[in-house]
Amino acid sequence: MLTIHLLMTMPKQRIYSVSELNKEARRILESEIGSLWLKGEISNLTLAPSGHTYFTIKDATSEIAAVRFKGSSTLSSLRLDNGNQVLAYGRLTIYEPRGRYQFIVALIQPAGLGALQLAFQQLKENLNKEGLFDKGHKKPLPHYPQRIGVVTSPSGAAIRDILSIFSRRWPAIQVYIFPALVQGEAAAYELVSSVALAERFSHDKTPLDLLIISRGGGSLEDLAAFNDEQLARAIFACSIPVVSAVGHEIDFTIADFVADLRAPTPSAAAELAVPDHTEVTSTLTTLVDMLGKRMTSLIEQKERGLQTELKEYIFRLPSRQMETLSQRLDILLATLLRLTKESWKRQKQRQEGLTGLLRLSDPRLPLQRGYSLTFLAGSTTSLRDSACLAQGQQIETHLLKGKILSQVEEVIDS
Amino acid sequence: MRINEALTKLEGITKQLEKNDLPLEEALRLFEQGIALATKIKTDLDQAKLHINKVIENAEGVFVLEKFDLS
Repeated sequence: MLTIHLLMTMPKQRIYSVSELNKEARRILESEIGSLWLKGEISNLTLAPSGHTYFTIKDATSEIAAVRFKGSSTLSSLRLDNGNQVLAYGRLTIYEPRGRYQFIVALIQPAGLGALQLAFQQLKENLNKEGLFDKGHKKPLPHYPQRIGVVTSPSGAAIRDILSIFSRRWPAIQVYIFPALVQGEAAAYELVSSVALAERFSHDKTPLDLLIISRGGGSLEDLAAFNDEQLARAIFACSIPVVSAVGHEIDFTIADFVADLRAPTPSAAAELAVPDHTEVTSTLTTLVDMLGKRMTSLIEQKERGLQTELKEYIFRLPSRQMETLSQRLDILLATLLRLTKESWKRQKQRQEGLTGLLRLSDPRLPLQRGYSLTFLAGSTTSLRDSACLAQGQQIETHLLKGKILSQVEEVIDS
Repeated sequence: MRINEALTKLEGITKQLEKNDLPLEEALRLFEQGIALATKIKTDLDQAKLHINKVIENAEGVFVLEKFDLS
C-alpha cells in the first residue's frame, strides 16, 4: 500500500542509477559543505604502497574516513600516529566507485598548543636521523676570510649589526649581500633561493670563503622560515662554510643545527667569522719580536766567537800591549751588550709599533759598532775561519760604509 | 698578497730563523724579508676599508652587483 501511495503522490520522481546518485550526492556535499577544518583523533592509520595515507578521524561518538594524498601536505615532515589529536584542513567528498563518504586532507597539523614545536621536533628528529647534523659534515671556518656572503634582509637589523662588527674588527674584507625576506610566507622560499644564488655566485664568479645566514630576533612564528626543511637541505648542500645566526641567544632553529657553525646572534656571527685586527697586530708584534730576539742572539753568538779569536790573536803580542787591548775589548763589548739590552727593554716597553724593534735588531748594528764582515773576493759567504785563506788571496771587507779590498799577507791559525 | 698569506709567510720565516746553523747572510736576508712583510701587513690592515655589495641575478641569469651603503 505504501509503495502504491508513494508512486501516486510523487509521479514525477526521477529514478537514479547508483552512479547518478553518488555523483549527485558528491556534488551537493562539495558545493554545500566543501572545504573545512576538522578536529579529531586519528585511528586505523594505513600507509598504502602508493604513498597515500588512509585513516579515520574520530571523536567520542562518531568517525569519518579520511585520506591524505602523497605530497599534499605542506608540513610534509609531520608523522601521523594513531591516537594523535589533529587539526586537519580538507574537503568533504564522496568516492563515487564505492559510495564512500570521506574527508580529503590538504593540510594536517597537531591540534592544540605546541603544534609548531611538535612539527619542529619531528623535522629535527628526521633530519638528524638522515645525518644532516653530523659533526663529520661540518666544514671548518677559514681563519682569515677574504670574501664573505650574507643571506639576510638588506633592511633588517641583522645586516647592520654584522657590518658594524666587520668594520670595527676586520675591515680587510669584501662583503656580498644576498637579499632575502626573513619572515612571512615567502621567506623560506627566498632564503633557499638566496643560498642557491650565493652558491652559484661563488662557483661562477667570485669564490666566497664564508656564508652567513641571519636575521634578528622575533617571535617563534617570525623565525619559522629558518625551520624549513628545504632551507636545511640547501644549507647542507652548500659548498661554502655556513654560519647561522637567527634571532636571540635562546632561539634554536633547524638552520642552526645543520649549519657548520651556529652563532647565538648576528653580531656574534660577525665576531666568529673574522679575526680581531688588534689581536693580529699583537701577533705581528710578537713575531717581529721573535725575529729581533733571534737576530740579536745570532749576533751575540758571532760576537763571542770574534772575542775569542781576538783574544787568541793578541796573546801573541807583547804582554803589556796585550793586557791593554784585551781589557779595552772586554769593556767595549760589555758596554755594547749592556746598552743593546737596555735599549731593547726600553723599546719593548714603549711598544710603539714595529719600527723601534726593527731598528734595534737590525743585523747591521755590529757594523755601526765598528765590526766588519770579510768575504773572499767574489764570494758571498762571509769568512769564519782563517784556515780557509791562503797567502796572496784577495779579500773584501764590508764596513758600515763602503768596503776595502786587501791581499792576504800571512795566515795565522787560531 | 693577501694579509693571511703574508701572515703565514711571516710565521714561516720566524720558524726558519730559529734554526741554529743559519749563516749570517741567510739570517739577514730572512730578517729583512720578515720585517718588510710585517710592515706591509700593518699598513694593509690600517688602510683596509670594508667593501659591501648587494648581489642579485637578473632575468638573463647575469649577476648584478650594487654598491651597498648602510646609511
